[in-house]
Amino acid sequence: MKITKVVFGIVIVVIVIAAIAGYYLLQPPKEKEEEKPPVEEESLLIMGTTDSVESCLDPARAYDFFGWEIIQSLGSGLVEYRPGATGAPGDIVPALATSWSVSEDGKVWTFNLRQGVKFDDGTEFNATHVKYTFDRGISIADEDGPFVGIGYGDIIENVTVVSKYVVKFHLKIPFSAFLSLLACQASYIVDPKYAPFDAVVEYKEGDPRGSHPMGLGPYVLTKWERVAGKDTEMRLEANPNYWNATGGYPKTKTIIIKFYADSAGLALAIDAGEIDIAFRQLSATDINNLKTKTHLKVWEGTGAFIQYLVLQTKRPPFDNPKIRQAVAAAINRTAIVETVFLGQVQKLYSMIPVGMFGYKNAFLKLGDPNYALTRELLSQLGYNENNKLSFKLWYETSGHYPQSPQLAQMLKSSLEASGVISVELEGRDWAAYRVSRRNEEMDAYILGWYPDYIDPDDYIYPFLHSSGGSWLHHNYGNPWMDQLIEWARGNTTQSARENLYGQIQDLMVDDCPIIPIYQGSAWAVTKQDVKGIYLDITQSWRHWLVYREK
Amino acid sequence: MTLRSYVVSRILLTIPMIFILLTIVFIIVRVLPGDPVLLHFEKMENPRAMEEMRQKLGLDKPIWIQYFDYLFNLLRGDLGKSMQDYSPVASQILSAFPATLELAIFSMIIAVSIGIILGVESSKSYNKPKDHIVRIFGIVTYAIPVFFLGMIFQIVFGVGLRWLPVGGRIYPTMEPSGLRIPLSQPPGGFATHLLLSCVAGLVAVMMCVVALKIRGQKTTRKTLGLLVSLFLTVWILWALAGWRFITLGELRISTGLYTVDSLLEGNPYKFVEALRYLCLPSLTLGLVISGVFIRLTRSNMLETLRLDFVTAAKARGLKEITVTYGYAFRNAFLPILTMMGLQFATLLAGAVLTETTFSWPGLGRYIVDRINFRDYTAIQGAVVFYGILVSLVSLVVDLLYAYFDPRIRL
Repeated sequence: MKITKVVFGIVIVVIVIAAIAGYYLLQPPKEKEEEKPPVEEESLLIMGTTDSVESCLDPARAYDFFGWEIIQSLGSGLVEYRPGATGAPGDIVPALATSWSVSEDGKVWTFNLRQGVKFDDGTEFNATHVKYTFDRGISIADEDGPFVGIGYGDIIENVTVVSKYVVKFHLKIPFSAFLSLLACQASYIVDPKYAPFDAVVEYKEGDPRGSHPMGLGPYVLTKWERVAGKDTEMRLEANPNYWNATGGYPKTKTIIIKFYADSAGLALAIDAGEIDIAFRQLSATDINNLKTKTHLKVWEGTGAFIQYLVLQTKRPPFDNPKIRQAVAAAINRTAIVETVFLGQVQKLYSMIPVGMFGYKNAFLKLGDPNYALTRELLSQLGYNENNKLSFKLWYETSGHYPQSPQLAQMLKSSLEASGVISVELEGRDWAAYRVSRRNEEMDAYILGWYPDYIDPDDYIYPFLHSSGGSWLHHNYGNPWMDQLIEWARGNTTQSARENLYGQIQDLMVDDCPIIPIYQGSAWAVTKQDVKGIYLDITQSWRHWLVYREK
Repeated sequence: MTLRSYVVSRILLTIPMIFILLTIVFIIVRVLPGDPVLLHFEKMENPRAMEEMRQKLGLDKPIWIQYFDYLFNLLRGDLGKSMQDYSPVASQILSAFPATLELAIFSMIIAVSIGIILGVESSKSYNKPKDHIVRIFGIVTYAIPVFFLGMIFQIVFGVGLRWLPVGGRIYPTMEPSGLRIPLSQPPGGFATHLLLSCVAGLVAVMMCVVALKIRGQKTTRKTLGLLVSLFLTVWILWALAGWRFITLGELRISTGLYTVDSLLEGNPYKFVEALRYLCLPSLTLGLVISGVFIRLTRSNMLETLRLDFVTAAKARGLKEITVTYGYAFRNAFLPILTMMGLQFATLLAGAVLTETTFSWPGLGRYIVDRINFRDYTAIQGAVVFYGILVSLVSLVVDLLYAYFDPRIRL
């Protein structure tokens, strides 16, 4: 009896399901024409990263590495760096401007704009958009943003529209790095339709187009998902209106970006073949490990990231340049590069990175290391094996910089190897570290720097100029140094600038308020068939050049 | 006490608890060295801009005014705005919560099933090698760090065997509002589809078999035939019905739990895909907290198995499985239920590390991230949310307790 009941029940259920299934099967397929064509395998690349957009994708506020990476693909500037750039002035090539000229005094720049360029929504690009972009950024003056951080308002007096396709910049000071500044992503042109004059465009859930004000770049943003302020997925699709679309760019139609919580997760994902490209941040050990995999390709490029040791020049012991030099002479950069970073970074003897024009290996004259010099300099001041120079070396512990604790440990042992220095380490997480820096509690601390614009000025002015470097709280100021820096900023002759930067770097070794340690390299890991990767000193990831080889 | 007054008093008791919790967190985040204002300036610190930022974040007021402002807003149900990106904390928490909830539910299911099965087995073979192995297993899983176990799994199943993905919640093209690929064919074509649909049939059959076993019915030829036909019908129907709907495009979100959403959409591929991504994180977290359940089940079962009614049931010639699960285990289950409520808090704490290891975009990662930024409002909001959640869960567990044990009247 029971069994028949069950059978009866099953039969009924089966009939009902069959009826429903049959109903759906007989339905004509709906909205076929609305659906997008299938994405071919070759035109889709999946990229993985541990980065995330920090605030938003509006150049008036965005001031983080990844935000700029995306802005660069969604928008265009007046000029841009050619792939493989080294930071030399000749590396800057036309983008939205086709040609430019500068006045005798270096204070008026005139740009002729490319004609017939359209935003992704069809609006025609003209000189008013350029004026709007800079007026807007300077007037919003967002505290988080690059217009305040780099100080656009202190450089640009005003922007005037001469004709539909000619625009003039009047500067407050002669500023030789102006083209580099225009090439940086903060200077990318915005679409007034999406960028209100007095407000920053913030992330809007479910509205990727409304979440950014760009529109002149190789890609459009078709998806931007964030969970609790962290990106979870992004999608870039080719912009048919891109000014260089006829040149065949972008090479890959669709790029999907996946986000990983840490370096280990990212390395595992590329190893497991879940993503085509892994870019930032992979740890030195992960890179070494991935180098051994035959199905992957590891790309190395010049980096513009530097790390350095800052000394508090206001009070003993580092109020004496001799002691600062003694410390600089006792740093074993080879050991740091080989042991801490497994040979994946390079030694740095100047604040200006290797490969950029103006670079001079100024600190090498103090040795690498030269313990005899350290002992000699310190013995003049009464320090010896029994009376060691002792100080606290501060470092950051929350992963804001790569391998921080190891770097600090290595610095300590390299300094102590001199026999006359004793170092105590003190770690703080990034938030607390910043407070300690502000309160000037730290006698010696490690810091890092990513450039805003690719010019020696961005590596000198913010560190060695008495007002430009005040954010470091190292209380260093030398009127002659200030004078040299201002001359170098204002001069547009290449050779004169090179000469000035040479003098600045020599003076920097004499005064020694900051000791450069190393320069990072850029690393990317891809599947074997991914091509078109340029890792140059601009640190930019150019999505539009990357493609999968068929 | 009636049930209603019990529930009301429990909920009322939650209020001072949240209040104390909030006060402690409010003080702790401010005592920690660090300043959210400063963190907005990666490079240059412009004093004027910093002062403006301080006003914008409301940190220029005295601390007790900030405290009462926050309390007042909380009473109105406003968790405030994030100090990092200025968006409302409440919506950030809600966007991250489904991911954590899904992970928590599946981990709990795994932990409890492992705990019960192994615990019962080891109690049945008391002091035999099997028992010792299970006990050691319990201690090891309890002691092993979550992130370590997670990475081992990633290396073995992700990189080595390539069976399961190592991070994320679902395949990129299926991620909500992702690619709209009108694929009429899943990868592998109709054959994969047939194969996958057969799983649905197997699940149905398995459920029937388990039900029959527990009821103690004998497997006759008739039931066997019935099972086979059940399997075939579910398989064929699923294959036919599913074939039409299959698109590998975006997942429609209605609950935020990807496994549930994919089922609501009736798409077995997305469901399988969501499960694959869920597999390693929930297994990691589930294994780590399963140790507690193993030991608890074991000791309770040992006591229950000695009782007279179990002997009586055995004497009546009932099947062993019926005696253990149908009779003894039901009596040993109550303490496990309590433990589930208690372990829920541990689970949320463990989720912090699991989410980081598996790049799972949930609340745990959110909290870590915001602590690093000293985002006071976000940390406070998340802790209040966790507090309410944990007390709610323990309330539900208490109510279930009464439901399972009719002797207990609340």
